[in-house]
Amino acid sequence: MARGNREVLAKLEQIVGPDYVSNEEAVLLPYSWDLTWADPRLPDYVVMPKTVTEIQRVLRLANHMRIPVIPYVNATNIGGLCVPEEGGIVMDLKRMDKIIKIDPETCYAIIEPGVSHAQLSAALKATNPQWEGYEFSKGFEFGWGVHPASASVLAMAINHGIGHLNGRLGINSQLISSMEVVLPTAEVVKLGSCAFSDSWHSFLPLPRMDGLFLGWMGTTGIVTKLGIWIFPIRPYKDVLTIAAETAYDMTRYMVHWRHYSLCDEVTAVSWWLAQIPIPYPYQEKPKDTPEWFSYTVISGWSEEELEYKRKMWKKVVAEEKARGTKLIDFEYPPEAKRGRTELPSRIIGSTKNYSKSCGGGLAWPGTFAPCKSWPILYEKWKEIYIRHNLSPAVRFTDFQGAHYGMLRLMTPFDKRNPESVKAARDAMVECIRAGIPLGMLPYKPPVEYMNELNAAADAGYVYLMTKIKDMLDPNNIMNPGKLGIR
Amino acid sequence: MALVLKNTDLKELAQLYDRISMCTQCGNCKYGYEYGSTENFAAMICPQGDKYQFEAYRGSKGKAALAKGLLSGMIQWSEKTTHVIYTCIGCGACVEMCETDIKDYLLRIFEALKGEAWKFNMGIPEGVKKWSSTIGVNKNPYMEKHEDRLNWLPASVRDSLPKKAEYIYFAGCTASYRQKNIALATFKLLQKLKIDFTVTPDEWCCASPLLRTGQYNIAKEFIEHNRELPEKYGASGFITTCAGCYRTLSIDYVKDPPEGYADKFGKMEGVKVIHTIQLVEDMINKGEIEFEGTFNNIVTYHDPCHLGRHAEVYESPRNVLKAIPGLKLVEMYRNRKFSFCCGAGGGVRGGFPDYSVETSMKRVKEAETTGASIITCVCPFCWRNLNDAIDALKSKMQMLDIVEILEPIVKRK
Ligand SMILES: Cc1cc2nc3c(=O)[nH]c(=O)nc-3n(C[C@H](O)[C@H](O)[C@H](O)COP(=O)(O)OP(=O)(O)OC[C@H]3O[C@@H](n4cnc5c(N)ncnc54)[C@H](O)[C@@H]3O)c2cc1C
Ligand code: SF4
Ligand code: SF4
Repeated sequence: MARGNREVLAKLEQIVGPDYVSNEEAVLLPYSWDLTWADPRLPDYVVMPKTVTEIQRVLRLANHMRIPVIPYVNATNIGGLCVPEEGGIVMDLKRMDKIIKIDPETCYAIIEPGVSHAQLSAALKATNPQWEGYEFSKGFEFGWGVHPASASVLAMAINHGIGHLNGRLGINSQLISSMEVVLPTAEVVKLGSCAFSDSWHSFLPLPRMDGLFLGWMGTTGIVTKLGIWIFPIRPYKDVLTIAAETAYDMTRYMVHWRHYSLCDEVTAVSWWLAQIPIPYPYQEKPKDTPEWFSYTVISGWSEEELEYKRKMWKKVVAEEKARGTKLIDFEYPPEAKRGRTELPSRIIGSTKNYSKSCGGGLAWPGTFAPCKSWPILYEKWKEIYIRHNLSPAVRFTDFQGAHYGMLRLMTPFDKRNPESVKAARDAMVECIRAGIPLGMLPYKPPVEYMNELNAAADAGYVYLMTKIKDMLDPNNIMNPGKLGIR
Repeated sequence: MALVLKNTDLKELAQLYDRISMCTQCGNCKYGYEYGSTENFAAMICPQGDKYQFEAYRGSKGKAALAKGLLSGMIQWSEKTTHVIYTCIGCGACVEMCETDIKDYLLRIFEALKGEAWKFNMGIPEGVKKWSSTIGVNKNPYMEKHEDRLNWLPASVRDSLPKKAEYIYFAGCTASYRQKNIALATFKLLQKLKIDFTVTPDEWCCASPLLRTGQYNIAKEFIEHNRELPEKYGASGFITTCAGCYRTLSIDYVKDPPEGYADKFGKMEGVKVIHTIQLVEDMINKGEIEFEGTFNNIVTYHDPCHLGRHAEVYESPRNVLKAIPGLKLVEMYRNRKFSFCCGAGGGVRGGFPDYSVETSMKRVKEAETTGASIITCVCPFCWRNLNDAIDALKSKMQMLDIVEILEPIVKRK
């Protein structure tokens, strides 16, 4: 069965070639939903451009005909962000999958949207940090998340993605160095050093216009090339683990440990998130088991450096125990340790840890929150989740210093059952509502969260956001409906 | 959004609804990836996605989505639905990447989808329809006469085949009617190795093409017929050089779901199924084989999907190759569980010949990068498709089955 109309189809065919456009339902169907509760909505067309010029031409057509355009790579964002709220053209960018450059001296790479984590990690591992041909060490890395390895590095980074170096370096949108964007009105712009030369190493000291495209979920333009900083792989690594009775105790330990800025990552997970897969529906935690488990990854250039970090970590643990923080010694099984150092990973990657057997649904209140709010919100969220018969599978992760971190509740649910879907969505929206007054902000927010955010936002914030959106996208064609403002 | 089962008319598929529902649409299956301490493996492993690009065609995600869409009534069957389903080669590469509870059922789901397509009779490739309409009479999908099945053997040999033997050499349709070189090489090899075997004019298609395209009703008769053969010939098992026959005889005839079809057709019991390469490996290990010559060539091995991913036989062919004096084995980047399909299976060679050979051309180009002069495999169907690609590319590479390499230079100790 075909959708849309023949005229638009013919024009799209002219632009990208008939093999890379479809308006057939059987082809459109996988673009109509994602892992989350978002109601499926079929697009009218899908196009797969190969070049920037093709993207420009599609956008001109879309403006002319007032057709929505939804940038898409793999739709693993866990926010329904690629579900076409108002139909239109899904622009699947997977054919643009070139790693344009890896500069092993200035330590950046330039990638297209379709470059997957799998592809980039393999290419970076094969490139050695060097200067004038003299190699210092083996391989580069970027901030790898725990998503399917097929997911786009670019789509992750521009939407404030979180990788394994976040404790040391911050989140991935802080590691972007330049970009090329096709504006909704089809002009191509370059931002950062690449606007002045062919060096893609830095945004600074220029005005930060890149912010117009970071965290906007494809509503302000299509990023066609991205410069990212890459980092030498440190050859020595260890994973240190400790458990705690309560979220308060766990937060105390994490805040103390990250004070020294010695780790690549420090993360804690509640008992429910430590189960593989997460229990669905809710299951009570055994009484004799701690509620929180944490790991921290340390890395270095020598065993001595690692040993120093271990010593400091032991000191923190000992001091915390001495002042009454209830920490419990525990060791990760070797497989779990490997999962934390072998990234991107198939041990913790994909959905097997989260939604292996429960009916296909997966969503989260995924948020950034000040560490002070973590334990308070955990108790609130736990109450909400247990009331909805869901496991409070919560994660805390520190992002580079004292300022903020990730507070996230990974939630499997059963898509076979409308009641299960509703319970999951209601619980998650309630969690967001409870969190916003405590400084919590959802990332890659589904429409429902965006509405909560807008309701609580300062009027000037929504005003400026609307103004920027209108200025960049006067016909509101880019992923409409996602910002909750137009 | 819930995906409630509404369309129970799709019986084969509806039975698998609970498994289908376990797919999260995570898309892990769209790209091959493995962490390695020094380098990570990363490559496109789905030939269907590589060709047709859209999500529906990439890995199992697209097909699982279609199954959900059809069962929940979100979409109706169309010619395009059939196209998406029938251009999947069933190679199983995507299965290697999936990690939810749909994983083990994926191939069964693909085949059930192909099966449902027959009810609608929309868009089933003419090439498949053609052989489907004659296989009942001919007992092979090549539209050749059944009486000609043993024509690969010289008439004198044909007439004096033993009526009883320890093994039946099950040549399969491709080796019997097309790649006779492989059937003959196997026959001579088994003779040189002094195996007590026979070949039977009663052999029918193993039913692989029928099962792989969801034609269960026709497959039944074939399975019931073939599994009686060992008793009739006093044999304890089958030997085959065909990866497709091996998968079908050793898994589909024998195992319960999700791997096999014992639920539909009952179990073949007490019959050994051996791939020729396993037999040779075993004899080498026992010191029963002697090499009379060398094979001084660089060779790369193509894992047939039905032997590799489907039956997890990866090392036997390699062990045999490594034992051959003079032979240097080099690997393609995509090998073993991440091998790239030759493009022939799942009804694709008959249904979409151009796409099929385009896929095997990709494989031959990959083989060329290894520096090998010979591509080897242990499947007449792969042999045929890869050889067609060699011709189409005017490649300098040569196609040889491992039995063809072995036969001239081995003898039983
Ligand atoms: C099991 C699981 C675990 C996950 N773990 C992590 C994690 O550890 N860290 C993390 O950061 N994320 C995680 N995610 C979320 C997600 O995988 C990543 O953010 C991912 O990289 C998104 O890539 P994608 O190809 O799926 O992008 P998509 O979902 O296709 O796109 C994401 C958004 O970006 C927009 N977009 C895409 N391309 C462009 C472009 N070129 N220009 C402008 N806008 C564009 C889209 O419209 C959409 O709004 C996880 C997801 C899953 C399923
Ligand atoms: S079975 Fe092979 S062709 Fe079919 S989707 Fe999986 S990887 Fe692709
Ligand atoms: S088939 Fe498996 S790997 Fe593919 S999308 Fe579904 S759950 Fe993910």
